[in-house]
Amino acid sequence: MKNKLSHLATPYVIWMALFVVAPIIMVVIYAFSAADGGFTLANFSKIGTYAVVFSRSFKLALIATVICLLIGYPVSYMMSKEGPRFQRIAMVLIMLPMWMNFLLRTYSWMSILENNGLLNQLFQKIGLISLYNSIFGTNIEYFRMINTSGAVVLGMVYNYLPFMILPIYSVIVKLDHSLIEAARDLGANNVNVFRRVILPLSLPGVLSGITMVFVPSVSTFAISKMLGGGTEMLLGDLIEQQFLGGAYNPQVGAAISLVMMVIVVICMVVMNRFGEGEEQAVML
Amino acid sequence: MKRNNTVLNRLFTVLVFVFLYAPILLLIIFSFNAGSSNTVWKGFSLGWYRELFNDRIIMRSVYTTLLVSLLATVIATFAGTFAAIGFYAMRRRKRHILTTVNNIPMMNAEIVTGVAMCLFFVAFFALWSDFAAWVNGIQTFFELPTRLTLGFGTLLIAHITFNIPYVILSVSPKLRQMDKNLVDAAMDLGCTWMQAFWKVILPEIKPGIISGALTAFTMSIDDFIISYFTAGSSSSTLAMTIYGMTKKRVTPEINAISTILFGTVLLLLVITNIREIRQEKLEQRRQKLPTASPAEAAQYARRPNSRLPKILAVGAAAALILCTTVVASRNAGKPVVNICSWGEYIDESLIDQFEAETGITVNYQTAESNEALYSLLKSGAGDYDVIVPSDYMISQLIEEGMLEELDYGNIPNFDLISDRFKNLPYDPDNRYTVPYTWGTVGIIYNTTMVEEPITSWEVMFSDEYAGNVLMFRNSRDAMACALFYLGYDVNTTDEGELRDAFDLLKDAKNRGVYQSFVMDEIYGKLEGGNAAIGAYYAGDYLSMLENNPDLAFVVPEEGSNWFVDAMCVLKDAPHKEEAEAWINFIAGTGPNLANMDYIWYASPNEEALESYPAYYEECYEEELEPEIFEIMAPSQETLDRCELYLSLPAEIRTLYNDLWTELGI
Repeated sequence: MKNKLSHLATPYVIWMALFVVAPIIMVVIYAFSAADGGFTLANFSKIGTYAVVFSRSFKLALIATVICLLIGYPVSYMMSKEGPRFQRIAMVLIMLPMWMNFLLRTYSWMSILENNGLLNQLFQKIGLISLYNSIFGTNIEYFRMINTSGAVVLGMVYNYLPFMILPIYSVIVKLDHSLIEAARDLGANNVNVFRRVILPLSLPGVLSGITMVFVPSVSTFAISKMLGGGTEMLLGDLIEQQFLGGAYNPQVGAAISLVMMVIVVICMVVMNRFGEGEEQAVML
Repeated sequence: MKRNNTVLNRLFTVLVFVFLYAPILLLIIFSFNAGSSNTVWKGFSLGWYRELFNDRIIMRSVYTTLLVSLLATVIATFAGTFAAIGFYAMRRRKRHILTTVNNIPMMNAEIVTGVAMCLFFVAFFALWSDFAAWVNGIQTFFELPTRLTLGFGTLLIAHITFNIPYVILSVSPKLRQMDKNLVDAAMDLGCTWMQAFWKVILPEIKPGIISGALTAFTMSIDDFIISYFTAGSSSSTLAMTIYGMTKKRVTPEINAISTILFGTVLLLLVITNIREIRQEKLEQRRQKLPTASPAEAAQYARRPNSRLPKILAVGAAAALILCTTVVASRNAGKPVVNICSWGEYIDESLIDQFEAETGITVNYQTAESNEALYSLLKSGAGDYDVIVPSDYMISQLIEEGMLEELDYGNIPNFDLISDRFKNLPYDPDNRYTVPYTWGTVGIIYNTTMVEEPITSWEVMFSDEYAGNVLMFRNSRDAMACALFYLGYDVNTTDEGELRDAFDLLKDAKNRGVYQSFVMDEIYGKLEGGNAAIGAYYAGDYLSMLENNPDLAFVVPEEGSNWFVDAMCVLKDAPHKEEAEAWINFIAGTGPNLANMDYIWYASPNEEALESYPAYYEECYEEELEPEIFEIMAPSQETLDRCELYLSLPAEIRTLYNDLWTELGI
């Protein structure tokens, strides 16, 4: 009976081999081939020059992930303590923004953060800018917010925060309350209950949340182009530029993608060591 | 323990929601704006909603998005559910390997997934074409198509591939929670394994399937990066259309369509939630009334509207089938032409006019720059018929044998093109091209933000307006600014001179002179007064002037570039005849006048150019200022200061690319 059921997966296994594994093999082949088709390692030799881009991307993605965690964990925790009706509505409200295209949401941030944007106009109206000028003796007309790394991080946090909240929430809400009561009965105070019971048990959710925020952040190109103004290149921009941008060089692009992939996988494997063995990503 | 959230905690949650919804609210508010700005409120209007339904490009992309998302979700939900059950029934070791592979699309960066699929499809198509040719050669019963291209099919495959893991991820936990003995019990009682599946497994995992399908659909709708690499030239999703626009101005029509989509989903969710809440209340009441009469109990037990979900599901399925047949019948055998041009580079009513006149369907996409277009063509992702590259790119494409010679017999309107724009260096015998527009590059500045009129390229490199300068985001134009300033030949192949120009740019960038590197984003930045100075094309300056009268344009004294953009047909284009019909149509005087009026680039059509001032007066009942006409179609005196870009040798192009990437770092 069991064996019969396992045949149900066969079509998908073939599908995966074709459209998941084969494309990645293509990337590997490209990464090791020269423009005329022969084998070469030259594509990787250029990677050294892009070290700055690598470190910048990983730094910004890390900051965004940490901020998402700092915001997302408390929100999930508090949501789980509200009544069931509120929880359901809150879940819907967190998923709902994804129905507004992410490019459009990011574009909206552009008009908020511009030098002449809504936020600066607001600051001007309430006199914050003149206050700032009189305190620091400067003569600025606006706060520079767009085209900075801060704006890029904001864009990442904004777009990927739901991916942090959802998995953490779905783990916390399923926690066995008798465990918490048991801990209390054994004399643990609030802090200890959280630290010794809730936090360790919610770790799988945290880990998959981190993955789901960190990976898209490290590889984004639209956000950095729109909010970062193209002055600080990120890995996504670099790859996009090799494939579809100005500097057409798919071999180097494949090499960069491969290196990024390997680094990300190593990060994830190391991180999952802290998790519990086979526990996999939890989404909903 | 429960419900001990303090006011402060609640406030924090509320703030997070404000953060999530503020930009969305803004988008919704500005969809009702009478003006076209996203920051200045000009009164309430429903005009953008009206225009939306007349905008074929947006409506088509919405349709593609919905269709691909629906199809991908349905297929992925079926495949994912079966796969999850299959995985569940496997031995631990095998399952572990397969789940790891299954997680790849989620763990992998989207851009890598997109790129990998693009490479894979292109390689597969190449293999296929050899195979099909071989099959067609050895037998004559049937003929295989030798040419496959990226399009709706590949887009769908990509969406299914990244959707299935989400379905599996939400179905698997439900399977694990299920009591393993249930299936055995059912089969002991005489169920076949098929019956066991339908009667036991499916009801247990239903919530997982539903949430998996919802997640998959949401991901599909929101996806941009993977679609960008796999959609090819004939289909664009809404996200791709928006991306094309974010470079210039996003028309509030996009706000309008997004508001409609958002509102629909909100409504659906509210309805289902109200239903659930009502059911819950009924349940509670029933529990409170244990001694109620059987009739009453039956009334409570009957779930209200229990047919609604089924009706919805059947309705959705019917809509889906209808959509598919409509697409299939609409596209069957109808002539099409796939065009790639630049953003805001055509009066879109011309597309409708052409479609009405000839019955040929136009798929219109835009690229960001000549270099981006070149990459698109080289990678095989851009499978167009007509492209509109600039001069230097044309000669490069001709050199590499990527263009098809035109049959000028099919393009009688070519005779209307002024002799000035024929046989130019990029196409000396004029065998490949029909000019589309021409113009100059110069500096655009905001007169209220600079001390004195600008005359020299110097401002692009000096500290005077540091942080307020916008530089080109394409290597050729950016380097040209530096080369002109340094007094070098703009077509130089001397590595030392190029290095000097690069150092100048890099140094200025490091000193913080550039606010950002832009292409069409320059519109929003200069119109909104967010930057003081930017180098760009004359025609675009005139478009910006309509929205900000403080802007001025100058062709710097050191000289500048003048360019011709021309229509060409790609080698082996599948729709060459339609392509030539399009080129002929656009080269006509009427379309040229309409285009000039809409995009403000000068026309190479002699008659159109000369009659434009009169045309303008007739349309707007005011005289076209001579200064404006001079900027649009500069006199020979100005052109004498300007140079055409020529095609560069391959090793210099590589140098350009390397320098450009280095500048970005």
